[in-house]
Amino acid sequence: MPDDKPAQGGADYTQWHEVKSGETLSKIAQHYYGDASLYPKIFEANKDTLKDPNMIRVGQKLRIP
Amino acid sequence: MLKQSWKYALALVCAATLACNSGKAPAEAAMKLAEEAVSGAQAEAGSLVPDDMKSLSDDLAAAKDLMAKGDYKAALASAQSIQQKANDVLAKAKAKKDELTATWNQMSDSLPKMLDAIKSRVDILSQSKKLPAGLDAAKLASAKDGLAAATTAWAEAQDAFKGGKWTDAIAKATTVKDKATEVMGMLGMQAGGMAAASPAK
Repeated sequence: MPDDKPAQGGADYTQWHEVKSGETLSKIAQHYYGDASLYPKIFEANKDTLKDPNMIRVGQKLRIP
Repeated sequence: MLKQSWKYALALVCAATLACNSGKAPAEAAMKLAEEAVSGAQAEAGSLVPDDMKSLSDDLAAAKDLMAKGDYKAALASAQSIQQKANDVLAKAKAKKDELTATWNQMSDSLPKMLDAIKSRVDILSQSKKLPAGLDAAKLASAKDGLAAATTAWAEAQDAFKGGKWTDAIAKATTVKDKATEVMGMLGMQAGGMAAASPAK
């Protein structure tokens, strides 16, 4: 199981988002960037824990670049 | 009889002169050491604890004044006191330098990450066809200007630190942090925090 918790210790200026029920990367991109088509930016920033942009879990913590 | 009295008077004058001069050499030697101590402290501590250095320089001037007036005993005591005080000022400057260095290390670790996070967000938002709620084109342009100003100020802070201007470097880095925090607020970034977007219905 991948460790999707935010890194602890030191200064952390990464913005994190906890996935809620019904959310997709596109919806999250729409919320943060105003443009759903920018979802690959979020996928790329979370490739260590995401293998497929269509497979995100409720409660998963995602970096928002 | 008169000739005998004259000899006694001369002997007394000589004795008095010797007594006065006997304290001059040690006072001069101590004064030289005090001047060297103050000069050395100035180089090390001048920019770190300027108030303490001014007090030390004032003490040295007062001691020189005592020497000029021929009060060698007081000048000697003052010069010896100055040497001790110079050591105290150096110790205080070292503590201040350690404190500033620790603050700088913390800032030089965190500020580049802060600026990188802002740059990443600005770059992505610049590609967006429509900006998110709470952000318009003017606000994004202002955020870009703020990021550019903070980046320039951070470079200046680093130059100041490299040049030994620790206090200036910390002051400049603090303005960078303030500006970067302001820009993050403009962009709706919650640094290190956890946010949950409301799914679009």
